[in-house]
Amino acid sequence: MTAARLIINEIKGYHRFLKFLMVLVGLGALASLVRFIFGLGVTTNLNDTYPWGLWVSFDVVTAVPLAAGAFTLGAITHCFHIKKLEPLVRPAIVTGFLGYSLVSVGLLLDLGQPQRCWHTMVFWNPHSPMFEVSMCIMAYTTVLFLEFLSPVCEKLGYYLPLRVLRTLEMPLVVAAAAISTLHQSSLGTFFLIAVDKLHSLWYNPLLPLLFWISAIFSGLSIIILEATMTHKWLGQEDESELLETLARIIPWVIGVYILVKAYALFFLSEGPFFDRPRMLVLFGIEVLAGVFVPFFMFMQKKVRNNNRLRAIAAGLVIFGLVVNRFNVSMYGMIHEGAPYVPSLLETLVTIGIIAAEILFFVLIAKYFPIFEHHPETVDYSLPDKFRKVEKHGSVAAGA
Amino acid sequence: MSGDIKDFNKTGAFLIDMTKCTGCRGCQVACKQWNQLKAENTTFFNGEGYQNPPAMSEYTFTRIKFRDYQKNGQNEFAFYKEMCMHCNDPACASVCPVGAFKKTAEGPVIYDTKRCIGCRFCMVACPFGVPKYEWSKAFPLVKKCTGCYSRIKNGHKPACATACPSAITYGPRAEMLKEAERRIAARPDRYLKKIYGKEEAGGTSVIYLTALPFDELGFKPVTKRPLPSYTWQALRLVPGIFLTVGGSLSLLSWFTHRKDRLKKEEEQRTQSRKHSDQNQEKTE
Repeated sequence: MTAARLIINEIKGYHRFLKFLMVLVGLGALASLVRFIFGLGVTTNLNDTYPWGLWVSFDVVTAVPLAAGAFTLGAITHCFHIKKLEPLVRPAIVTGFLGYSLVSVGLLLDLGQPQRCWHTMVFWNPHSPMFEVSMCIMAYTTVLFLEFLSPVCEKLGYYLPLRVLRTLEMPLVVAAAAISTLHQSSLGTFFLIAVDKLHSLWYNPLLPLLFWISAIFSGLSIIILEATMTHKWLGQEDESELLETLARIIPWVIGVYILVKAYALFFLSEGPFFDRPRMLVLFGIEVLAGVFVPFFMFMQKKVRNNNRLRAIAAGLVIFGLVVNRFNVSMYGMIHEGAPYVPSLLETLVTIGIIAAEILFFVLIAKYFPIFEHHPETVDYSLPDKFRKVEKHGSVAAGA
Repeated sequence: MSGDIKDFNKTGAFLIDMTKCTGCRGCQVACKQWNQLKAENTTFFNGEGYQNPPAMSEYTFTRIKFRDYQKNGQNEFAFYKEMCMHCNDPACASVCPVGAFKKTAEGPVIYDTKRCIGCRFCMVACPFGVPKYEWSKAFPLVKKCTGCYSRIKNGHKPACATACPSAITYGPRAEMLKEAERRIAARPDRYLKKIYGKEEAGGTSVIYLTALPFDELGFKPVTKRPLPSYTWQALRLVPGIFLTVGGSLSLLSWFTHRKDRLKKEEEQRTQSRKHSDQNQEKTE
């Protein structure tokens, strides 16, 4: 059998849902091809009034905090040394690595001159939040790639790189947290320049801080949601006990977020809050359903100990985050005239990107040891290629 | 970025006296000619009023907006010339990740087509909505008024200022401001007692005099603070935050790991002591 036939047979054995995801990814790829042949104007509903649309609002501004689980959990597990959370770290890193890779894909599609993306590395402008974010995303994707190499090397039995990666583990965790802090907050700095454009319900000088804090609790919520789903549908181990620990941390972070947001809203915001009913409704949905309800849910032991309720609360946090990022980057921008609605092709690309994230995650989980991770069982010793030592410890017969 | 220009008195500036504008749109034509911009298909009254084309675009860098109003029972026109304001401290230049925009010492804010990566942050940042995009192209670039930098460098005035028969004066910014103040003082009944562009967005190289309130003509209400300062107040903290987070997490993990190591060593010691005790018991 040829290699191609092997692969086809392998794919034939996949679950129907995976095949469906593959179709979605294919459609997204075709739609993005249209962008390169016919241009952004044809593919998207963007125009001079709405230069940023779905691809920036979702694929970049929302996807980055959704991939924040890797750095938060890494810091909690390794720096604060809550070792029992270790089994959750690898899936989070895989999600993060996939998330950031797809953010880069989304960014490249959205750029007018994607072939010049390396310009950010040559023509520095430290006054630009976009410069900062793009540098950070490049650096952090590299860090995540290195962290992701561990399961790959384990699978393939590359021992030397494994030992190198092992020594790099802590520096990488610290670098991940520092770099993520910078770019998660700098995504908020993007919108500080929109002084007279972004509605005062969202515009305040603490926007970067709010973006960072919300990235932390959303990252943790994504891990809860993901672990619950992989337990339910991928038949992985039940990590409820660990998720309860995470669920105990989340309300503290949300609490700080609420305090900072209230302070920013009442003391630092300028301009009217109640002039546009549409904005008020969006703000209400974001804050009530996405912040306060999950906050009170996570405060209750009953919710934290119940798999279903815990997942629902985490889902609400994610929902609130998505609404918040869309409010800041799209709906809250005040423009006259017709509102922006993403085109079919734009939507297909974004759906393709989401589908790719899930598809690749399932496939990686299928082929690499990301769940059965017990660091103490991994053999980091160099194999004896020259057979100098027998398995039982005695010197080989040839000597 | 405005870089090392500290004195904006000598940068070239447009003084546009809207009360003297006749709405001939010679400036629009001159702009298209000098910049070799395509004509746009237009129809009357497809926008807010008489103005054409309906908006600035990749083909239209400047445009006269018409506003009809009544004065002493008579229909009158008021005008507003839309164009790049060539800010002293431009938002577009500060947000551009590759520094494609530059405020020149001569006055114009210029754009380097060879650097641009097409992220459109300049369009989001500009408080006046000036940069436009080549939406029809597969690999689009940004388009905006160049301030006729190529003409100015060779000692000419900008194309629109040259074509305008009545309203546009071009010269050093300080002189233009002085002239504007002189005109307001000389004919207080004719002018609104405010100079748009003197302080808007931290000061611009295009300054306006009008008879009608600015917002009625379509001028955007804009902050007086230079826009880059809004993002810089957060961005300047970046190196500090990086070192603080990195440093404190390193310290924290050093402590927690040390505690762990000591605990393990302690366990090992007690275990080996037990072991040796047992051995002793055995030998005894």
